[in-house]
Amino acid sequence: MIPGWEGNTCIKWLRRLKLGTAPFMTREETSRYTDLMPDGTARQFTFAMEAKSVITSPSGGQRIEPGFVEIRGLAWSGRGSVKAVEVRTDGGQTWQPAQLQEPVLPHCHTRFRFGWRWNGEATVIQSRCIDDTGYVQPTRAALVAARGVHSLYHYNAIQSWKVAADGKVTNVQV
Amino acid sequence: MFKSSRSSRAVIFIALIGVCGWAATMQAGEGDRYGFGLPATEAEIAAWNIDINPTGAGLPPGRGTVQQGAVIYANKCNACHGTTGTEGPQSRLVGGQGSLATSLPVKTIGSYWPYATTLYDYIHRAMPLNAPQSLTPDEIYSVVAWLLHQNGIIPADAIIDAQTLSHVKMPNREGFVPDPRPDIPFR
Repeated sequence: MIPGWEGNTCIKWLRRLKLGTAPFMTREETSRYTDLMPDGTARQFTFAMEAKSVITSPSGGQRIEPGFVEIRGLAWSGRGSVKAVEVRTDGGQTWQPAQLQEPVLPHCHTRFRFGWRWNGEATVIQSRCIDDTGYVQPTRAALVAARGVHSLYHYNAIQSWKVAADGKVTNVQV
Repeated sequence: MFKSSRSSRAVIFIALIGVCGWAATMQAGEGDRYGFGLPATEAEIAAWNIDINPTGAGLPPGRGTVQQGAVIYANKCNACHGTTGTEGPQSRLVGGQGSLATSLPVKTIGSYWPYATTLYDYIHRAMPLNAPQSLTPDEIYSVVAWLLHQNGIIPADAIIDAQTLSHVKMPNREGFVPDPRPDIPFR
């Protein structure tokens, strides 16, 4: 119902509407859906989901074989359209462009894919989304540096899959 | 429990704009009704219209004391929130002041909540969990008084009612900031 905003605002069972001229400051909008920062302040009325992406294949629980592996996933941005998705397969600094699949629409999930030849060595695979505002999906370290570890909502850091030498794929925090 | 929240009135307001636009289009184009729903009665609207905002508008007559609140809390709240409001197992209600900027923040009514009126709104609306909206205004004012006193916010002889509640200054009233994002440097 509210494209681009965090999912809990998309009301599943709308029963009635009440208009107000100011926030009602209910329990949820004060003590729950607020983001506590390291300095003790809390951000309030933070609704937009910033650019994010996730590799859906290969992903946790799967096992891949050496050779050609198509990396596939989804990207989105609450601030606009997905402009690009980049994939990193060496766990290092080399980001390579993925292909976007049409349609690419504002606030919509956008499919991406990337042709990868896996050499059989253990590695980490990641994706990052860049939206049409120029925003680049951050690393976990950059997000934690800015917000600490007590801000739970709107988490949009780059997500990592570990590929073991036997091809097994597991979640890993990088 | 998070999923059932009315997390933002701003959200609902925007939703209404969409609904109004749609309804106006349908009526202009077709003129027929679809046979769904009934007009809400005054009594139904009154039963739903229980929001209490920070101005205190909508608070009913009645009053409560810390002493009465202690008795009601022990009978109806204690089992989930603990004898002093700190033991759980459900949400901790008391303490935590000064902890928000530490590595182990404790978010309670006393340490985190910006408005005392929210206590009346939520306790009336949703507590106790097995019988929401069963407490009388006097009982709610009293439980609110006890919780504020336990958190060191009002003295033991304070009276909480429609006039006094909205004037209670919560310790973390100035602790909330607007959304500054994007906040993370690129690359």
